[in-house]
Amino acid sequence: MVDALIVASGVQEVKESLSAVSSLGDVEVLFYGKDSDKADEVAKLGVKVYVLKSQHPGALFNAVKKLYDEKQPKVIVGYGTKNNRDALSRLAGTYDLPMATDVIGVEFKDDHIIYKRGFLSERAIATEKIPYPAIILINAKVFEPVQREGSGNTEEISVEEDSVKLLEIKPKQLSGINLEDAEIIVGVGRGFKKKEDLELAFKLAELLGGQVGASRPIAADYKWLPEDAWIGISGKRVAPKLYIAVGISGAPQHMAGVNNSKIIVAINKDKSAPIFKLADYGVVADLYQFLPVLIKKLEEKKGK
Amino acid sequence: MGDIVVLVKPSLNPDMTRSKPDGTVDLDAIPLKLDDIDANALEAAKELKNTLGGKIIALLLLPWGPIQKRTRELKMVTQEALARGADEAYIVSDEKLLPGDPIITATVLSNAIKKYAPSASLVLVAEASIDQTTGQIAGRVAAKLGLPFISYARKITIDGNKIVAERDVEDHIEVMEASLPAVVSVTQEINEPRPPTLLQIRRAGKKPQKTLSAADVEPIPERKKEPVEYKILTVSRKQVIIEGDTLEEIAEKLIEALEKEGVL
Ligand SMILES: Cc1cc2nc3c(=O)[nH]c(=O)nc-3n(C[C@H](O)[C@H](O)[C@H](O)COP(=O)(O)OP(=O)(O)OC[C@H]3O[C@@H](n4cnc5c(N)ncnc54)[C@H](O)[C@@H]3O)c2cc1C
Repeated sequence: MVDALIVASGVQEVKESLSAVSSLGDVEVLFYGKDSDKADEVAKLGVKVYVLKSQHPGALFNAVKKLYDEKQPKVIVGYGTKNNRDALSRLAGTYDLPMATDVIGVEFKDDHIIYKRGFLSERAIATEKIPYPAIILINAKVFEPVQREGSGNTEEISVEEDSVKLLEIKPKQLSGINLEDAEIIVGVGRGFKKKEDLELAFKLAELLGGQVGASRPIAADYKWLPEDAWIGISGKRVAPKLYIAVGISGAPQHMAGVNNSKIIVAINKDKSAPIFKLADYGVVADLYQFLPVLIKKLEEKKGK
Repeated sequence: MGDIVVLVKPSLNPDMTRSKPDGTVDLDAIPLKLDDIDANALEAAKELKNTLGGKIIALLLLPWGPIQKRTRELKMVTQEALARGADEAYIVSDEKLLPGDPIITATVLSNAIKKYAPSASLVLVAEASIDQTTGQIAGRVAAKLGLPFISYARKITIDGNKIVAERDVEDHIEVMEASLPAVVSVTQEINEPRPPTLLQIRRAGKKPQKTLSAADVEPIPERKKEPVEYKILTVSRKQVIIEGDTLEEIAEKLIEALEKEGVL
């Protein structure tokens, strides 16, 4: 028996998960995926680490199930990554376990768990109560990562994949830019008519010493930008001091990713776009007319 | 050869979020809509229907009460699912199942698939919903039905008895192959749903639909999630619209405002 089983594919994820379950006793880790060679780093946090080299979601499900059956943890915790959601929702379905996702706060009481999470595409915060055993998937960067040293051991775990075959892995083109660290972000949306026009946003970002991010359709669907530019509830959550949303309507799923910005500016040609109610400063204008003027003014200022 | 089941969720519309005077969410006052990515799932079903040769069955479950007030909204969501390509619809609606709990929802939907769509060769589910966004129903249903599962599909092709899907993981795409029947969750990128035409809307009214009660989809597990509080997230943004006679003037005023804020 252990109190908690962490299911994670990154070292930072383990540190934050350990922090989320710090009020519980015995914790073990299932560490999986392409970074699983970092398992020693995880063991140095003083936890026992089971290592699954595969990143096949069916193998992950089988590994989690095996450990769950053996260890009967009260809590399973990790980030809400796609692989975690895939494997853990199947575990939840197998044993009718409650599963909370996008958790931003959690209390482990004697006979129940109380957690907080985004609700209504993060227009609201839900507080809910569930019994043990349960699955808790936390948001990244909410729980202070633990700093500690110890010595745990690692043990490789081998399981079958399931009947679904992984035929091929196609890498995505990524920019490698860490939007989470950017102080200024220019966000681009479907107000841009074609990829080449994003040049205007890059020019603006460069003048401001910032980076360019995007709404989901621009990055994931049209692929005009690499997918690590995708901001929102299912992409990155950023917190720059200045977020300039250009040609973005202000859907709650997008705003969930930028609501922690200090100042939000919206540039949109539709004066009834929802983003104006969610921004500090709004400019009702066609981006194709306004951005060149804004760029010129900023250049003039810089020139002085 | 087989039918396609599409799980369709009547979700609270976050764009119409309403609050009570005490700052909590007025759940009963928020209207339901056909969930965003369910439209993508229905569109995907339409594209695959000819290959599979069966019909499209929309399966709905009412997750929010009060039931009397939701009747009209539930009807509209059902109509829309039928207009978007479903050939028939099953609607589970029962006081006993309210409010939705993922454990109950997944069990009820799985039971309904076994009973009313036993020849389904594909179950399509949206990656996540707009009200809860937990993305856990597809995996739960796959486990309950004991079927192969592919999550986050951006592209689906069917070849005989096999389904091949491009699965979106954060930093790469996995090409996965499963044998049918299978459960697949789809992402928003899988297609661009076409709005139904007037003719499709008119025809929807004539398609078969059947309302089911909890008794039709037993056994029903115990509820495990209890609401404590739903609180509105108040955004306190300044909401200043910068005005001026020319774009130059507006740009200058904007720069000035941002300098004052200390963010430039
Ligand atoms: C479960 C789920 C998860 C999601 N996750 C995310 C997410 O993580 N991130 C995300 O961004 N979205 C997400 N979405 C999608 C989201 O709901 C919206 O569809 C999306 O954010 C819209 O992107 P947009 O604002 O660029 O486009 P649109 O909503 O189409 O807005 C375009 C805006 O540009 C304006 N415009 C047009 N032309 C001009 C012009 N010439 N000048 C100025 N303005 C102009 C228009 O007035 C409009 O307001 C998710 C949806 C679901 C259902």
